[in-house]
Amino acid sequence: MGACHRPYYIEQRYDSFYTVKGTEHTDSSFIKMLAPYKEKMEGQMQVIIGHTDTTLTKMQPECTLGNFLADAQLKAAIKTGSGAVAAVANYGGIRIPYIKEGAIRLENMYEMMPFDNVVVIAEIPGNVMKRFCDHIARAKGWPVSGIKFDMVGKEARRIYINSQPLDEHATYKIAINDYMASGGDECDFLVPLKKETTNIFVRDALISYVKELEKEGKPLHPKLENRLQYGD
Amino acid sequence: MATRRTFIKKAALGSGLLLAGGFPFESFGAEHWEKLTILHTNDTHSHLEPFPMDGGKFQGQGGVAQRAALIKDVREKEEHVLLLDAGDIFQGTPYFNMYKGEPEIKAMSMMNYDATTMGNHDFDAGIEGFAKQLPHANFPVLVANYDFTNTALEGKTKPYTVIKKGKLRIGILGVGIELHGLVPDSAFGNTKYTDPIVAANTIADKLKRQEKCDMVICLSHLGYKYESAKVSDVELAKGTENIDLIIGGHTHTFMDKPLVMLNKSGKETVINQVGWAGLRLGRLDFVFDSKKGSKLSNAQSVIIIKQTRGF
Repeated sequence: MGACHRPYYIEQRYDSFYTVKGTEHTDSSFIKMLAPYKEKMEGQMQVIIGHTDTTLTKMQPECTLGNFLADAQLKAAIKTGSGAVAAVANYGGIRIPYIKEGAIRLENMYEMMPFDNVVVIAEIPGNVMKRFCDHIARAKGWPVSGIKFDMVGKEARRIYINSQPLDEHATYKIAINDYMASGGDECDFLVPLKKETTNIFVRDALISYVKELEKEGKPLHPKLENRLQYGD
Repeated sequence: MATRRTFIKKAALGSGLLLAGGFPFESFGAEHWEKLTILHTNDTHSHLEPFPMDGGKFQGQGGVAQRAALIKDVREKEEHVLLLDAGDIFQGTPYFNMYKGEPEIKAMSMMNYDATTMGNHDFDAGIEGFAKQLPHANFPVLVANYDFTNTALEGKTKPYTVIKKGKLRIGILGVGIELHGLVPDSAFGNTKYTDPIVAANTIADKLKRQEKCDMVICLSHLGYKYESAKVSDVELAKGTENIDLIIGGHTHTFMDKPLVMLNKSGKETVINQVGWAGLRLGRLDFVFDSKKGSKLSNAQSVIIIKQTRGF
């Protein structure tokens, strides 16, 4: 195996990179290969499912894409009759920077939430809830719905769940996703909790939320509500 | 094509002699040097088409047809090209949700990738889902620190491969990130993760000593570096002895210049990564010499590079 191989040694190195762009410089065999996939996909993805009257954006500690996500997750969880009172989503799960004002297409929902994660309802004791909120504060803010608190350094203070101050002795039903439920994004403290895994994709929760508003003749009206804010 | 490249190589030597005022025949005419061009991607994430023209930061960038055209250009000019990827081929556009990776893998095969490794998102259709797309791949999937025994991927990946390019033997291995906490347990099933540094060290040593490789490349989906002591490409470079180049991924880091570090044995290890979504194609050119430390003069190698790259 390479026994009589004459060794060579690295003597010089040069580095560079190409920015991949340009519509003129393409290899048409790839366009041809993709065509049948693209055609079938676009037929489905370009369908308009609703509208937003303001551009939705992604930022921390609170953002309109995040509020939309957490609200949709909570609404889907409530509809199952689970008794969920609030929702938390991991910030990294939002995979697009914005959705522009105007029509919302199915494609936007796939881009925002490409993962096939499902909604999970976790039963979270008050003391773990405090830890969860601290975790969110340390992560500089995650999407929440039905939850409000102030972020002071790496700690969550003045926590309200469903408009009531956090009770360390109560247990809360919180809509999360199965990624977080299995310890993703360092949510290991959620792993041992009692949980109900639904068969609702988080993406489908978003789609239903938009479609239902559209049916009522309403666009999304995203706004920041100081759900999470910095302050003493 | 080979004729044209041979011509360029000879022309390079010829004009080199002229430009630099003549080198001794022994040092140049004997062609004791060899050149290798490495093209690389990471975290392409199902971005088969360019980003839409919607005013966004990356509008009009990316796309497999565009990437393939660039690769084709380089292959026409260079004799020895390696095309490598560092994982996370899957997930990120509706193409993946609808077709579960089939067009992504087909496109890579059409571009003639030489190897890839597995990223955490390559488990997004489950182990079975990834295994199902492998018949479309004409390149190996390299991963040295996942044990796929009793899974759908058993026997379908390899820890390393050796590729001959001209007079060179190039060893390539792959390492993947800790899956627990990053990938749902149900998606990775019975896959066993082992320490990537231990695995990489063992394989790289084998590639250098037994396989007599002139260069060892590690495809890594560990991530560039972290604030914590979590294993990363930087930790991998520090903790290993025989890796010359780490092609990284996972952290979507746009490195304008590679990082050069000293490894455990005090030798240079180069780390590079090119962001994500196929927005960039990385390129590294290495000039080899059969005489260790003979150090081609800068003038000589600049001529080799310039002529063969057609600047």
